[in-house]
Amino acid sequence: MASSSGNDDDLTIPRAAINKMIKETLPNVRVANDARELVVNCCTEFIHLISSEANEICNKSEKKTISPEHVINALESLGFGSYIAEVKDVLQECKTVALKRRKASSRLENLGIPEEELLRQQQELFAKARQQQAELAQQEWLQMQQAAQQAQLAAASASAAQQAGSSQEEDEEDDV
Amino acid sequence: MSGSKEEEKVPGRSTSLPMSRVKLIMKSSPDVSHINQDALFLTTKATELFVQHLAQYSFRKGCGGESNALGYSDLAKAAEESEPFHFLTDILPKKILARDYLRSLEERSEDSD
Repeated sequence: MASSSGNDDDLTIPRAAINKMIKETLPNVRVANDARELVVNCCTEFIHLISSEANEICNKSEKKTISPEHVINALESLGFGSYIAEVKDVLQECKTVALKRRKASSRLENLGIPEEELLRQQQELFAKARQQQAELAQQEWLQMQQAAQQAQLAAASASAAQQAGSSQEEDEEDDV
Repeated sequence: MSGSKEEEKVPGRSTSLPMSRVKLIMKSSPDVSHINQDALFLTTKATELFVQHLAQYSFRKGCGGESNALGYSDLAKAAEESEPFHFLTDILPKKILARDYLRSLEERSEDSD
C-alpha cells in the first residue's frame, strides 16, 4: 500500500498483520470486515496513547530518549499493568540471546584455538564451499546440455515426420 | 510479509507487528523525538498484547458466545465497559438510535435553560 499521501495520520499497522493476530487469538471465529478495520485503528490509538504517556514521563525525567522504563511506567499508569510482566520477559529473553551471541563470539577469541588452526578450518570450509559450487555448476551445465540435445532430437523427428508425410509412405526405421 | 525481514536484524527480536511501522506511528505523536530500540520493541510487544486482549475481551463479553462472531458492537461495548479501553470510545462510539440521540439533545437544551 503506497503511502504517497504523506499524511502522518494515515499511518496504520498493516491489515494483514492484524488479521493474522486475530485469527491466532480467535480461531474459528467470524470477524466482520469492519470490525477488523476497527482493530487496526485501535492499534494506532493505543500506540499514540502509550507513546504520549511515555514521552511525558520521559520529559519529566529530563532524558531525551524514551527508554524501556518510561514505556513500562506508561503501561502501568494507563491501566495496562497486566502486560508488563510478559513484555519484560520477552525483552529479557532477547537480551539473553544477544548476550549469548556476544559471549559466543568473544569465546571464540578466548578459546585458545590458535589462530593457525582457525585459519586452517576456515580454508577447509572455503574449499568445501568451492567444491560444492563447482559440482552445482557442472550439474547445471549437464542439464542444459541434455535439454539442448532433446530439443535437437525433437526438431529432427518433427522435420522427418513432415518429409514422410509429404512424400509417399516409406518404411520408417525405429530410431531410438 | 514485508517488514518482518527488517526486524530480524537483531536476532531473537521477531514481532508479529512491524516495528518500523510502530516507530513511524509513535513519531507522528506530537513531541516524540527519540525512542530507544528496546523501548520500541516493548511498545510493539505491548501493542500485540493489546490486540489479543481487545479481541478476546470483546468476544467474551459480546454476543459472540451465541453466534461465534465478532462485530463492531462487541468492540464498542468493550470500549465502554472496560476502563483501560475507555480511550477507544472516540473512535468506537456506541451506535445509538437516532431518536434516543435527539431525545438526549432535547434534554440537554432544557437543562441549560
